[in-house]
Amino acid sequence: MFFAQVAPDSIVTPDIAWTALVPHLVLAGGAILMLMVWSLAGRWLPRWLPSMVTAAVGLGAAIGSIHLWRRVTDADRGPFSAVADSVGIDGFSVFLTVVISLTVVFAALLADGYLRRERLDGPEYHVLLLLSAAGGVTMATANDLIVLFLGLEILSLAVYVLAGYHNRRAQSQEAAIKYFVLGAFSSAFLLYGIALTYGATGSTNLVDINAYLRSTVLVDDGLLLAGFALLLVGLGFKVSAVPFHTWTPDVYQGSPTPVVAFMASGVKAAGFAALLRVFVVTFGTYADDWKPILYALAVATLLVGAILAVVQNDVKRMLAYSSISHAGFMLIGVHAASADGTASVLYYLAVYSVLVIGSFAVVGVVSGTGDGATTVGDFAGLGARRPWLAFAFTVFLLAQAGVPLTTGFFAKFYAITAAVDGRSWALAIVAMLSAVIAAYLYLRIMIAMWLEGSDDDAPIRVPVGTVVVLGVAAAFTIGFGIFPEPIVDLARDATPALVNSP
Amino acid sequence: MPPVLLAEASFPVIPAMVLTPLVGAVAVALLPRGRARMAQPLAVLFAVVTGAISVWILGDFDTADAGFQFVSEQGWVDALGISWFAGIDGISLFLVVLSGLLFPLAMVAVDPGHDHKAYFAWLLVLEAGCIGVFVALDLFMFFVFFEIVLVPMYFLIGKWGHEDREYAATKFFLYTMFGSALMLVGIVSLVVLHAQGADVDLTFNLVEIAETQALATNSARLIWATFALAFAVKVPMFPVHTWLPDAHTEAPTAGSVILAGVMLKMGTYGFLRFGLYLFPEASTTFAPLMITLGTIGIVYGAVVATMQRDLKRLVAYSSIAHLGFIVLGTFALNTEGIDGGLLQMVNHGISTGALFLLVGFIYERRHTREISELGGLQKSAPLLAGVFVLVMLSSIGLPGLNGFVGEFLVLVGAFNAHRWWAVIAATGVILAALYLLWAYQRVFHGRADGENETMPDLRFKEGLVLAPFVVAIVFLGVYPKPVIERMEPAVDRLVAHIETFVDDFDEPVADDGAGTGFDDIEVEEHDAEEGAADAGTPTEAAEGGAD
Amino acid sequence: MELTTTWYLVLGAIIFAIGASGLMIRRNPLVMFMCVELMLNAVNLTFVAFGRELDDLGGQVSVFFVLVVAAAEVVIGLAIIVAIMRHRSGATADDLSVLRG
Repeated sequence: MFFAQVAPDSIVTPDIAWTALVPHLVLAGGAILMLMVWSLAGRWLPRWLPSMVTAAVGLGAAIGSIHLWRRVTDADRGPFSAVADSVGIDGFSVFLTVVISLTVVFAALLADGYLRRERLDGPEYHVLLLLSAAGGVTMATANDLIVLFLGLEILSLAVYVLAGYHNRRAQSQEAAIKYFVLGAFSSAFLLYGIALTYGATGSTNLVDINAYLRSTVLVDDGLLLAGFALLLVGLGFKVSAVPFHTWTPDVYQGSPTPVVAFMASGVKAAGFAALLRVFVVTFGTYADDWKPILYALAVATLLVGAILAVVQNDVKRMLAYSSISHAGFMLIGVHAASADGTASVLYYLAVYSVLVIGSFAVVGVVSGTGDGATTVGDFAGLGARRPWLAFAFTVFLLAQAGVPLTTGFFAKFYAITAAVDGRSWALAIVAMLSAVIAAYLYLRIMIAMWLEGSDDDAPIRVPVGTVVVLGVAAAFTIGFGIFPEPIVDLARDATPALVNSP
Repeated sequence: MPPVLLAEASFPVIPAMVLTPLVGAVAVALLPRGRARMAQPLAVLFAVVTGAISVWILGDFDTADAGFQFVSEQGWVDALGISWFAGIDGISLFLVVLSGLLFPLAMVAVDPGHDHKAYFAWLLVLEAGCIGVFVALDLFMFFVFFEIVLVPMYFLIGKWGHEDREYAATKFFLYTMFGSALMLVGIVSLVVLHAQGADVDLTFNLVEIAETQALATNSARLIWATFALAFAVKVPMFPVHTWLPDAHTEAPTAGSVILAGVMLKMGTYGFLRFGLYLFPEASTTFAPLMITLGTIGIVYGAVVATMQRDLKRLVAYSSIAHLGFIVLGTFALNTEGIDGGLLQMVNHGISTGALFLLVGFIYERRHTREISELGGLQKSAPLLAGVFVLVMLSSIGLPGLNGFVGEFLVLVGAFNAHRWWAVIAATGVILAALYLLWAYQRVFHGRADGENETMPDLRFKEGLVLAPFVVAIVFLGVYPKPVIERMEPAVDRLVAHIETFVDDFDEPVADDGAGTGFDDIEVEEHDAEEGAADAGTPTEAAEGGAD
Repeated sequence: MELTTTWYLVLGAIIFAIGASGLMIRRNPLVMFMCVELMLNAVNLTFVAFGRELDDLGGQVSVFFVLVVAAAEVVIGLAIIVAIMRHRSGATADDLSVLRG
């Protein structure tokens, strides 16, 4: 038969649960559509439109995840595989999808005023932002190491360009090349780790790897352990764990501020999504092998981040080091390798994203035209010049310091609980000590804002988009700081799972 | 051991007490810029309402009930066993009332000079935090309030303080945060180990954990150490006291009053509620260490205070000595000692609060705190000098004034438990007389020259603020019974709790059972009144204090 | 002597190491990109070797993905270099030192 020869039965196209891919499709499709529309009709469209569209797309992706959440948390249906066992939808991935999508909304709103002030406006920033978020969501849902790698690359490639988006600032260019070289370097490590894991287990599919590791006792697990190490290096770069953190301060300082806000929130969330899914979920049976390494990483990250943060003079660098220290807190949750540990990381990611976006939103407006005024001295007297701006920043700083009745406190508290629950008291103590050290840094900025005067009376213009971001972020930080329960419950329900299509 | 009584409140007074100042803080902060003058009256109004609730609680308090009263409970984060769980018993009652009354007085007494809105808003936030600490019966809730008070205090010192305020504020914040950081690990460990030991869900409920005592001895001791560090920094005890002189000296007057009157009590109160009650075994084990440190604090504080040239710093160091007494009484682990410690907490709040107010008034007039630059103020400000004498004598512990009752009970308790430590501590009383009277002599006696000659006396408003302090000092001195009888059931229960859970522990009491209790105090009243009457000259009062 | 899979794996590891050390030592951005390529292709070799050893198609398929990603990376990297060169001609990595703390 003619047809039988052309279409042999051996090629089976996988079933694709298109409804489960709504967030991916909305983000990526939105980006491509935007690029097309603006290249054809850009000159007739108002300048504020791209950021509004991007925010709407991000919001759409988040809303599109709600039906997935209902489905995966429903006891009768539960998690499922969307595409040929390699894209899994579970509570964990939906939670992170929403977090990443919302960081896009915030980053887009921040970018509006920023790009116009810096005369960089255009759709490209937003297209890259959406593409990068699509990569992040892919990472969060990946059930296959190769899909994970693809997601990571989609995410990273877009962010490399975003880091250098301020094409008149040498610092921005420098940040881009540094980020690119080190990012490519780490991706190669990650990929090598994938290859070795593939060699040791015979598959790149996380479900199969997990099943294989559960059922088989490897006589010679050197290959697998080498794979672990390389994967850890690759992902460690992405979440800026010490000693793979060296790019962070330079890139944060040089990149356009809204991009930094996204890097510290969305990109970090995607990195931790991968770390949790690969190590805690898939390699859970080998926890005894990778936990000591993670322990060392967590301790180093906590302490180095906090100590180096204190000696900086540039607020963006300070926040970069403090974000390293916060990554240490999240690594504690990963190290715990328990349900509570995972929930604590998710909670931390959700609330820290809001905090850090709020912080960089303030930095973005204070830095002024040219995006250069970011030393501590530039924040002097902000309390008198712009009390509400200073107030919002104070809320974010106190929350990052872990002062109670803010989301930041509960995040730290939950991480500590996960550590203690896993009997890692020393880790919990190191974490709290690093929190105290880092508190000095936040105090320094607050002293500058409230207690020091300034003769600089150049007006600080706060664009509407930034006002919205600051208001929402501050309300979120205090509101859910006082009543943490809703987000804690969501984070606890967002359990990761590895399932194949039936 | 009977189950702890938990008397529900008919009206949620405790939430009302915590929320009123918070609402007030928001209201003050949102005042329009043009109405900033309204900040003080509005803040005082909210503080007075809070104070009124605290007085109502005092009136409604059931004296015979040793358990927690006015209990309010509400789920907070159910998944982790965290709840809003608050109540008041004889131990916390007077600290709550003290906070409720000190705050409005401190607000009325001094004008911050600038940024009125923020100043009063922070003070109200601080009040909510302080009251929260004293009513919390949930470990998480306790920690939240224990830590949140740092923020308003940080800003109060940093923005309205004196020359070195930024340094002092940062030091204060980091020091106390360091102490409580480890306590958070301790709290979480306690909760987790309790849940494992008692085989129940996670719970932060203080009463449940304390009454079950499901921890292994060693873990309990380690966790106790984290709590003790946090409280020791807060108290502050020797050798982690170094933040206090700076914070006190640089803080604005109201800040010093609150710091001394209320915030330092969080540490000593913590030792009672979260030390003895939660960890009876560890507390008895480490009691000798704590008593030693307390005694060192008494002597050290007194000696260093003697050498101070700054009046405010002198009062700050005297606080260290006084708080040493409280620690000594607490860890005597008998009813007299703990009663005395509790009473001393209230007394110290009153007399040191008043001392800081007086020093603040002098500073407002003379813009210096250097003792050497002051002199002969008695002539220009006789009323101020008179109040100063009374407050100072109460601080020294003159019989007939409030300070005496507390110190006496502490010494009796300590004497029964650790005889020689009590003897050393008693020298602290003599030293207190020495440095305070010497300071008084240098500041108020002698020839007044320059500005000292023309310094105005107390204004009517200031006198009005000081009047309640004077009344309390005298009242508690001659008739402490109503206070002690409300404290005692709860203290007895606490001691019984320790006896139940620590096998080889018996309350250290006097061998013959005589010479303790407050019956003796009333006998000595008459001498005391005479002593107070002619305490005008320093030498005589010094003898009275050393009695 | 027969060439077993191990030989290919060792070769891959060596190439990867050359790439990694080259990236850290060399200061010319273009050479650094080439080193990244070297690393990625070392991984490709490993994938193919494992795919052959395991008799699994996945190894070979992975290579295609990696190739595409590598191409995309070069495009981005060169674009960034071009953007920098427009401001400063003849830049090496050592000239990029505005950012430091």
